[in-house]
Amino acid sequence: MTGARAGACGGAGRRRHLRELLVTAPSFAWLALLFVVPTAIMLAMALRPADPYGGVGPGFTLETLRGLWKPSHLAIAWRTLWLSAATTAICLVLAVPAGYCIARARPRRRRLLLLLIIVPFWTSFLIRIFAWKVLLHPEGWLKKLLVMIGLADAGTSLLYNAGAVILVMVYTYLPFAILPVYAAAERFDFTLIEAARDLGARRLQAFARVFLPGIRRGLVTAVLMVLIPALGTFVIPDLVGGTTGEMLGNKIAQRVFADRNLPEASALAAALILAVLLPVLAVLALKQRERPAPAVEEDA
Amino acid sequence: MTRSRFPLIVTAALLVFFYAPIAVLVLYSFNASRVGGAWTGWSLESYRCLWGEREIWHALGNSLIIAVTATLASMVLGTTAALALHRYRTRLQRAHYLLIYTPLVMPEILMGISLLVFFAAVGLDLGLLTIFLAHVTFCISYVAMVVLARLQDFDESIIEAAHDLGAGTWTTFRRVLLPLLMPGIAAGGLLAFTLSIDDFVITFFVAGPGATTLPIRIYSMIKHGSPTLINALSSILLLVTFAAVLISQKLQREAP
Amino acid sequence: MTTPARAIAFAVLAAAFVPLPGCTARVPARRLAIYTWADYFKPALLARFEREHGCTIVIDTFDANEAMYAKLKAGAAGYDLITPSSYFVKIMHAQGMLRPLDRATLPNLRHVDPAYLAIAMDGAMHHSVPYMLTNSGIGYLKSRVKDFRPSWRIFERDDLRGRMTMLGDMRETLGAALKALGHSLNTRDDAEIAAARDLVIRWKRNLAKFETEQYKTGLASGEFLVVHGYSGDLLQVRKENPDIVFAVPEEGTSVSCDDFAIPAGAREVELAHAFIDFMHDPAVAAENTNFLSYVCPNSASYAMIDAAIRDNPGVFLAPELRARCEVIDDLGADTVKYTKAWDAVKAAE
Repeated sequence: MTGARAGACGGAGRRRHLRELLVTAPSFAWLALLFVVPTAIMLAMALRPADPYGGVGPGFTLETLRGLWKPSHLAIAWRTLWLSAATTAICLVLAVPAGYCIARARPRRRRLLLLLIIVPFWTSFLIRIFAWKVLLHPEGWLKKLLVMIGLADAGTSLLYNAGAVILVMVYTYLPFAILPVYAAAERFDFTLIEAARDLGARRLQAFARVFLPGIRRGLVTAVLMVLIPALGTFVIPDLVGGTTGEMLGNKIAQRVFADRNLPEASALAAALILAVLLPVLAVLALKQRERPAPAVEEDA
Repeated sequence: MTRSRFPLIVTAALLVFFYAPIAVLVLYSFNASRVGGAWTGWSLESYRCLWGEREIWHALGNSLIIAVTATLASMVLGTTAALALHRYRTRLQRAHYLLIYTPLVMPEILMGISLLVFFAAVGLDLGLLTIFLAHVTFCISYVAMVVLARLQDFDESIIEAAHDLGAGTWTTFRRVLLPLLMPGIAAGGLLAFTLSIDDFVITFFVAGPGATTLPIRIYSMIKHGSPTLINALSSILLLVTFAAVLISQKLQREAP
Repeated sequence: MTTPARAIAFAVLAAAFVPLPGCTARVPARRLAIYTWADYFKPALLARFEREHGCTIVIDTFDANEAMYAKLKAGAAGYDLITPSSYFVKIMHAQGMLRPLDRATLPNLRHVDPAYLAIAMDGAMHHSVPYMLTNSGIGYLKSRVKDFRPSWRIFERDDLRGRMTMLGDMRETLGAALKALGHSLNTRDDAEIAAARDLVIRWKRNLAKFETEQYKTGLASGEFLVVHGYSGDLLQVRKENPDIVFAVPEEGTSVSCDDFAIPAGAREVELAHAFIDFMHDPAVAAENTNFLSYVCPNSASYAMIDAAIRDNPGVFLAPELRARCEVIDDLGADTVKYTKAWDAVKAAE
């Protein structure tokens, strides 16, 4: 239909094109200038040499990128990956039963549960991290309790280790996993589980073979929502991590603020982009394909 | 057929997990010890001290200025973006969609450092202006996504009807589309406001002299301030938040 | 649905607190922007200066010289006065980032301690004026640490594992190890730096954190039992917890001084000069020293400072210990050697 219309009067097509440009331009121009250009400048920065006083030297070099393969960087990249992966896995394991429980609750209770899960996260993210510092304080009551029942030694600290980093990351990112899982579970047809049970499937079998595949898309979203911010985090290891808890984000912040080496910070940032981009592109491709049918067909 | 109680137990445990640190935080704001750590007795001292911390209230003022202006700007830009994305299916819009979507999945630290490098390259002094520019940049995408979702639930025939009745594009937009979209735009704006007022990472990179926002101030207090002072500030913020939740829940229930 | 509540929350807060007196009133003509370490001036003195000069002071803080430098280098031009460590003043001066001082407007500089100026990098006070001196050393809780000996080797004690911190500053922490090994903390020798790196990696197993700021409250609250830190910070926090003791290790340590300097791009140059002069008024300097527990090298002020500071052996060092202490110097291109060693320390498991 639109093809015919465009064919009939080219002027209308041009006007339409103009209107499209007009309504697209503001956001497009803003993001091009303040998102694409800065990212490009940052990537170009990774190809510049650093001078010892935090400036940028003349010309271009591949040294900085080559320097990424230092053992000290690889150790941190590995640490970042495993801490993020562990956080994501724990979040997923907790989010599935929670999402299931909320989706199966009666509407009144469901609303209450959702509210209870989201409310703590209206408060500042820094304050929530700080709360853990108070709770895990070596002279605090939790520690005293653990010492009393013999689970901890009086001299140790619950803070400043990889466990504390994972714990606080799970605390911070868990709602981002619960919500998509819940959203998928809510649309899931639970009679399918009953049908499977009627056909003789055991409870776990029905769960693994019917429910999990049914909420697949929610699980994928949950993984992305936790994994991506976890890969880039720097505040959490900075505040509750110890001497062996430094992640890629901390290294980038250190290169920017302490070592004043912008080229190397940019190179590390480029590595982080790569780590994030791969899963995102996969999902984006999926999304593009699944976008609902357009309201107006593309003009010929 | 009995349902497993396991999910319920996990959910209940999670709620304890979510609230325990917050409860301890509030409790410790009444600790008499100025340095935190061990409990030494009840006191309201930290609340009294908090009142005199003019830098905190100055930072809150900055946060609000940024949040309000960035919200308004991103509401306009996000809405036009959503309209364009919804209405047209050209190659331009494919690029546009990518442009809107990517900031959503970009770790904040990357946006922070790239904007820092950019502002340095164009010679813009770091300050409230650069924070505003950065905040609008990450808020646009959220507003656009919320408005776009609203547009997709939308009955297209209303627009068609308006056109059929002879309304021009502008009139249709102003009299039909905009009022119908308003809840979506408002929801996007509120999301933007929330993100802006709570942003730490990006702001940390692009803040300049005198442009300390509340999260930046809280971070520096965590690093070298009195712990009980942060407890007190957090408790007040929590109290206000919970009160707001109650009010908004009440309003929602009363609305038909 | 999640957001309205939060928005309301902040709006209520705003309504309640923003219109405090002083926030809404007249906009003063002049504004002095100081970029400095956190809590580095007695607030009452700042208020007095604001009153006397009819201006407002805006303070922005940095947590490392490099952070301050990076920000200025990246184009942050709004600052009128900065207080970096001496060796950074030297770097910045060499790069033309500082403005020479107008000595005619700084009469109080005649009180600056000549004994310090003799070893200072800018002894003539051409582009900088010493503001505060401090030694780095070890702070610990007397009641919790048995058999304390003032030595860097304390970080080898397993019984304190997980409850000790060292500074997150590569020159300070590698410098401590260099001192422990009997080397200069300004060494450019690869083998010596490598040995120091390995020593810090060994110490690291016993450390909770590398921490430049939180060690103060951490020690006061008993989170940490032994910390590597600055005398000024630790004497300051001692006011909160008298159990804290500060000691300078017998192997020697770093002495550092933060200087006043005016960035080349400063806007309120005259006001910045007035501020420097104000801070070196002997009575003001003494009041500030007593408040901060760092020592302003102002000879005329020494008579007025508290005995707790004046008589502390960790502050005014005995001559033979003083001889083993050094000022951290800029190493130019060789700084990379330290950066590499520090990266290896951070990455080690």
